[in-house]
Amino acid sequence: MEFPDFFQFHLPTRIVFGKGLSADFSAELAELKVTRAFLVTEKFLHTLGIPERVMTALQAAGVAVAGCFDEVVPNSEVALCERGAELARKAGADCVVAVGGGSSIDTAKAIALLLSEGGRLLDYQGAQTLTRPLKPMVAIPTTAGTGSEVTMVAVINDPESESKISLVDRFLTPALAVLDPELTLTLPKRITAATGMDALTHAVEAYVDIESSPFSDALAAQAIRLVSKLLLAAVTEGGDVEVRSGMQIASTLAGVAFNHSMVGVVHGMAHALGGMCHVVHGEANAMMLPFGMEYNLDARERKFAEVARFMGIDTRGLSERDAALAGIDHVRQLNQKLHELAGLPTALSQVGVPRDKLASVAGLAMTDGSMFYNPREVVEDEVLGMLERAH
Amino acid sequence: MGFFRDEEHLYRCLGGLFEKVRRDPAIGPKLAAAGLVIRFLYEEPDGQITIDVKNPPDSSDTFFTTFYGKSDLEPDVLMTMKADIGHRFWLGKINLVAALTRRQIVAKGPIPKILKLLPAIQPTYAMYPEILKELGEDKILL
Repeated sequence: MEFPDFFQFHLPTRIVFGKGLSADFSAELAELKVTRAFLVTEKFLHTLGIPERVMTALQAAGVAVAGCFDEVVPNSEVALCERGAELARKAGADCVVAVGGGSSIDTAKAIALLLSEGGRLLDYQGAQTLTRPLKPMVAIPTTAGTGSEVTMVAVINDPESESKISLVDRFLTPALAVLDPELTLTLPKRITAATGMDALTHAVEAYVDIESSPFSDALAAQAIRLVSKLLLAAVTEGGDVEVRSGMQIASTLAGVAFNHSMVGVVHGMAHALGGMCHVVHGEANAMMLPFGMEYNLDARERKFAEVARFMGIDTRGLSERDAALAGIDHVRQLNQKLHELAGLPTALSQVGVPRDKLASVAGLAMTDGSMFYNPREVVEDEVLGMLERAH
Repeated sequence: MGFFRDEEHLYRCLGGLFEKVRRDPAIGPKLAAAGLVIRFLYEEPDGQITIDVKNPPDSSDTFFTTFYGKSDLEPDVLMTMKADIGHRFWLGKINLVAALTRRQIVAKGPIPKILKLLPAIQPTYAMYPEILKELGEDKILL
């Protein structure tokens, strides 16, 4: 058994879980000692009454709602974050509350940063550039996949440089994550499938990446077990709060895991597919995951055999390689079932990715920071090969 | 007492490496392809080295230009660290990802572009001890 030369485990986020908790988390708010909250959310969530539910909870806890910024869209841009921060500053906010999916939470991180430190967002691009805690941030995820409620990373789109900028700083990690599975009960089947596969991809990549540690491994393993057991049920029985609870927990476990060991080639390709061809992140991850696992198989045979066991596959009598291959096959079968049940795409051609753009996608993927953490050196020609096979 | 006596000593040792690298036909073009201005800001002793792989080099036998001390160039990437950490890094004794995590190195700018340079600079870890020996600086080898 080998252990890494160095690793650290740091979880500054207080995680609270409970059915209906987003309607009352006053005890946790009291400890944050905040008085004016600035909500960051997505417009369509108003139709479900989710921001209103949280605002009522804040007010009942004695926290005034300083503003509700509901302009978040997928892949938020720098200007949007800066506008949100300006509004939060003018409103005199002393904390930021994110309600929504990954984009809302990442946008809220950027707003909390600018609200606390001032300046322009690009000034903070980099790793661990902050020297003190920000104004507290609360994350209330409405999907089960992103994990952003427990990570120190925010990825924001910068149209000027035609790229995504990464802000990586432990002070960006939310102070409080409120996990309320009731908020995910109405998630459409396709979004449930895509976000669930996002969580699975986080967990699998976290488990095999070069920065993995015994701590991140333990969390990733449990996330794989839960997603493998519950994702199909979450799609077919979306109203089952127990199933949704398991998926919510799996997503956060995977988030903590990849916050420490990062992600790899699958995310590198998914980010490029999202940036250039607007492929939904979770769907891109789902389509590329089996190819990424195959790519890394030689470098992590034993670990992929373990992944197969976490997925519930009976690997008795199989060699490690055959067990690992069974795991990859299992992911393909899962994708196919999710295609039949929820319309999850199984090929890049189904989501409008033109074949003649694949070379550019491969080139962009090579510039993604995730590639560095992949257990095997990533080669552009082979990335292109994976994209072609997934087309 | 750290590895370097003063700023001049820092430039002599690390500069010895950078001057060789910017003429190296295997490494130089790979770094030049990044198209960045990278500044290393050192503390204890204080000093700064700026590597300009964005603009044309200052001489025909080099692939990029280096500046020792203050420079007016606006860096795309700013790497701040203690001089001892810089020394250990170029000896290949520092895991950059771990150093970033532990805040031994603070990187400001596009991190993916910085990480992408790591495979290209791998050979410098073997070059630096040799350069220190040539300079008679064996005593600061680890």
